[in-house]
Amino acid sequence: MTEPTNPNVAAELGDTSQPQHTHPLTPWVRAVQLAPVALVAIFLFGQGVFSDLGVSPILITIGILLVIVLVVAVLQYLAWDRLTYWIDAEGDFRIDSGVVTRQQRRLQLSRLQSVDVTQPLLARVFGMAALTIEVAGAGDSRANLAYLPLANAQALRNEVIARSAGIKADAGEAPEQPLVVVPPKDLVISLLLRGTTVVLLSLTVLIVVVTAMTARTAGLLVILTGGVPLLIVFGEFTTYFNFTVARSADGLRLRSGLFQIKSQTIPPGRVQAVEFVQSWLWRRKDWVRVRLNVAGQPSSEDGDGSSETVLLPVAPYDVALDIVKHVLPGVDVRSVELSPAPKRARRRAWIQSRQLGVGHDDLVFVTERGRFVSHLSVVPHARTQSVRVTQGPWERALGLATMHVDSPPGPVLISALYRDATQAREIAEAQTRRAVAAALADPTTHWMRPDNPAGPATDEPPTH
Amino acid sequence: MDLTVDQAFAPPEEGWVSVSPKLTTARRLVLVLVMIPLLVVAAVVLGLAGLGWIAVLVVLGGLVLLVYLWWLIARRVRSFGYVERENDLLVTSGILFRRLAIVPYGRMQLVDLVAGPIDRSMGLATVQLHTAAATTDAKIPGLQPEVAAGLRDRLAKRGEGRSAGL
Repeated sequence: MTEPTNPNVAAELGDTSQPQHTHPLTPWVRAVQLAPVALVAIFLFGQGVFSDLGVSPILITIGILLVIVLVVAVLQYLAWDRLTYWIDAEGDFRIDSGVVTRQQRRLQLSRLQSVDVTQPLLARVFGMAALTIEVAGAGDSRANLAYLPLANAQALRNEVIARSAGIKADAGEAPEQPLVVVPPKDLVISLLLRGTTVVLLSLTVLIVVVTAMTARTAGLLVILTGGVPLLIVFGEFTTYFNFTVARSADGLRLRSGLFQIKSQTIPPGRVQAVEFVQSWLWRRKDWVRVRLNVAGQPSSEDGDGSSETVLLPVAPYDVALDIVKHVLPGVDVRSVELSPAPKRARRRAWIQSRQLGVGHDDLVFVTERGRFVSHLSVVPHARTQSVRVTQGPWERALGLATMHVDSPPGPVLISALYRDATQAREIAEAQTRRAVAAALADPTTHWMRPDNPAGPATDEPPTH
Repeated sequence: MDLTVDQAFAPPEEGWVSVSPKLTTARRLVLVLVMIPLLVVAAVVLGLAGLGWIAVLVVLGGLVLLVYLWWLIARRVRSFGYVERENDLLVTSGILFRRLAIVPYGRMQLVDLVAGPIDRSMGLATVQLHTAAATTDAKIPGLQPEVAAGLRDRLAKRGEGRSAGL
């Protein structure tokens, strides 16, 4: 391999105006990451075959595994060799990659949405990290750099953020100020205290008791009702373990993970919508989960639900409100007055009709819904993409209609359910006017530049 | 119809612009092209399986459905309407489930003009607006090609003038 004489030094200096390679050990890490899967596959397919060969099956397994790892490592080496990244003269992030099909990707950093530094377990052992840069755009609008030395990944993250903020690259890392750490105990209790977990676990206990009394076995059912929720709880626990929210000049930093550590930076003004979710069992503790819509398509390759942006897995309501003030500056969600849905909405939604509400202030539009799991959704006027009014046959019979605010894909839905039909239209029209006015005044494009309040200077002036 | 209902989807001062009635013909053509072969295949298969009376029921049921949809299509096409206002575009549609979308020009990311083979043969086209939100539902079918192209160009121009990032 064509390794630099001292990879560490090269990595530290990392002059990003010149094409750079990722860490030279990347092919090996990627190959070894596949080993557990390959091992399972060998066991599944090889069982019957090995015993006929007269050689120790363990030796054969190790042999096949080594061959697989080597082949993958060689293929990954070719990919590694082809992949270079740099920041070009115009300040765009560039990646050239691909062995058979060559791809040249150019990410406009002024449209940056978020930057993630992820450390899967194996990469963490080697002190490496993957960097994901997400810009606004439909479909695949991200760059994935795996793997870089951790320090290098962090330096690159800082540079990317600094450039998108419109200041010079070598501003260094913005100092960060921790805001909140979610205690593991609260996290476990909150995960266990969810409606679905409680119902399924009680069901499991019930089945165990019944089968014990009738002396039958109910293995599979118990595994399903008891195992699935425990697996979900365990999965979320490892994902959100030690969840830390910190504030810095370049945005909000979210860090969490037990085995795989993920560190996310969300620049200010990139948050499209916020939602406070409260399960009915959390109400006594006044706990709440906060989720976000951030522009940029959630990728299917993440698959593990990590594309869902969680600002806080669990926190007391007051703490959550304070944290949200950092992503939506100047917004006081509690002070927004919500007007309830009309009484006759009960005939459309008898469970949640009293929990329905809609309101707004100068900056945000707020809706509330849900009886057992309450959702309080907040969308800034300046982030309103479009507005809809819908009406089904039953709603029409009652003279009701639902008003929606459309936001980029994400967990947050903003719906003012079952309003008086005339009022729904009025809310929609008023929200559109607020959205148009707010979009014209929005200053968040180059948010770190000193001349920012005057608006993005590089963009063409709007032609009124 | 109920008064309150009309007010939720009432036309703005400018009044709705409706789409070409030729869309009814196009959609009825698609309906017949899909339903008749399906019914024939179903009838033949059931007939060969010795279930003659079920085949008769299926065909009768299918024909009733065909007549109902034939009638419904005309109403659905009449329900489409749009208005270009000063700052936004309004699109409405639907009979059973009614919708109204309001899209500020500054939020449009792209405007599509689409025409399938049947649409083209009838001289029709569809204009669709996209914003950063996938749920934005602003689709205007059944426009004459020159009307559609004009609309698309006007929308694109207004979008440029008012573009506001994300």
